[in-house]
Amino acid sequence: MSGEVSRRNVLSSVVRGAVIASLGGTAGYLVQKAKGQIVWQVDASRCVNSRLGEVSAEVCRLCTTECVVAQSAVRAVNNFAECGRCYICPAYFNIKSAVDAKGLPSEKLCPRDAIRREPIGWVDPADPANNFYEYIIDEEKCDGCGLCVKACKEPLGLGSIVLSVRHSICVDCNRCAISTACPKDALVQRPTEEALSVRKAAPLATP
Amino acid sequence: MTGVQRFRRCLLAVLVFLILTIDSAGTGLAHAVPYERPVETAPQEETIGGGYATPPVQKPRPRAYWLEILDVVLLAAAMAVNVWLVLSRRDRRWVLALTAACLAYFGFYREGCICPIGSIQNVAVALTDPGYSIPIVVTAVFFLPLVVAAFYGRVFCGGVCPLGAMQELVVLKPVQVPRRLDYALGLLKYAYLAVAIIAAVQPAVTRDFLICRFDPFVGFFRREGFAHMMLIGGGFLVLGMFVGRPYCRYLCPYGGLLSWISRVARRGVTITPNKELDCGLCAEACPYGAIENMRAVRKECLYCARCYAACPRETNPGALV
Repeated sequence: MSGEVSRRNVLSSVVRGAVIASLGGTAGYLVQKAKGQIVWQVDASRCVNSRLGEVSAEVCRLCTTECVVAQSAVRAVNNFAECGRCYICPAYFNIKSAVDAKGLPSEKLCPRDAIRREPIGWVDPADPANNFYEYIIDEEKCDGCGLCVKACKEPLGLGSIVLSVRHSICVDCNRCAISTACPKDALVQRPTEEALSVRKAAPLATP
Repeated sequence: MTGVQRFRRCLLAVLVFLILTIDSAGTGLAHAVPYERPVETAPQEETIGGGYATPPVQKPRPRAYWLEILDVVLLAAAMAVNVWLVLSRRDRRWVLALTAACLAYFGFYREGCICPIGSIQNVAVALTDPGYSIPIVVTAVFFLPLVVAAFYGRVFCGGVCPLGAMQELVVLKPVQVPRRLDYALGLLKYAYLAVAIIAAVQPAVTRDFLICRFDPFVGFFRREGFAHMMLIGGGFLVLGMFVGRPYCRYLCPYGGLLSWISRVARRGVTITPNKELDCGLCAEACPYGAIENMRAVRKECLYCARCYAACPRETNPGALV
């Protein structure tokens, strides 16, 4: 069948050649435009929970509720180098709860108990208020509800905790379900390396 | 103006004046005491002492790039194997094995992503939005099955596509859809393709990826999903028992593209060339209504090799029938 030289076969070959050439041309244009591997990431400077100057009573939980992964792919991340290592961390303790015998708030803020508190550096057991503390977030427990992120925001905290997409969990939806719900359009697609650098929250642009 | 009116007006003026004064005093106070942000006060290693080292921030990396390349290689290999199995080996059982393997890998292991069907939208956006680009892997996944279709027809639909494989494996008692109805329903996929492209090429804020949002089987692949989509997916599977591959034939937008390109295909499924029995068993065996006048129609044929399995010439080549 393919060996026959007929008007139909020649015409078919010509059309096929044209189709492949146009497919190739389009593919070439897209390849030349490509920027490498792209992943979703939370832009901390846009996120309602971490962006400075944003005043709202309620914490935004859309990252937890909208993600298609059962325990959201978004996690709170403590950028240790920017952490104040406070004695009473507003993201670790519920600072509105009653003070206990040791002079610390009696309740923790995280509903999933995902934050661990450890004294670091020179530890003086006699004077705990004078020590530095590391706050370590448990990846397995955190579901990115943003309570600690909001509490860590200035002026109480230094804003070292931000929400971040965990690329090992994220299934990389074509149209991220959180991005369609996010009121501040804070979920963005970035090249991998850029997405992995934890960014500091920027203040709101002055009008 | 009466006295009462004048009094009211005076009262209003006084009130406005008072509110303005209090307001400006308030803001003035806020401006007078600038809040010093303690950004620089985060204690660093030397302040903390005791040999403390700042722990690194956990940054799990996405799936390794070479694994994504591997997906493309496997896609190409699966299509090559499918062409060989259907055109040379002509064996339904091996095609079924390939279908199951691809369902396991592209479906349940890769959880339905990355897929050429959804990539239609990304390609459409990348072609229209100067600020949007897609990785080379996505470009390859979109174009490979199309190029193969220009030579061999809908090879991708047959043994490779996980959505097709889901439906392929549930075909139980397929009915022959009347030609005209089949043709009319087949036009739906082009309408869906057009709607999906229009929804995708909107400005970024209003952009919507309908094909992914209404993917009926991705919920099964991920073992979790919205209840309504799981129901629709289940509905397609139940329907698929009696109507062969309803999603592929009537709704799949990528199927529409492949079907269109398959018209110029060089080779396709051939039913025992030049020695048909004219018995019509192949046409009866085809659940997709793709056999007309003892010939597989390339734009409809889904490379399942059922016609070979049903043909007395194929199963028992030496016998005199």
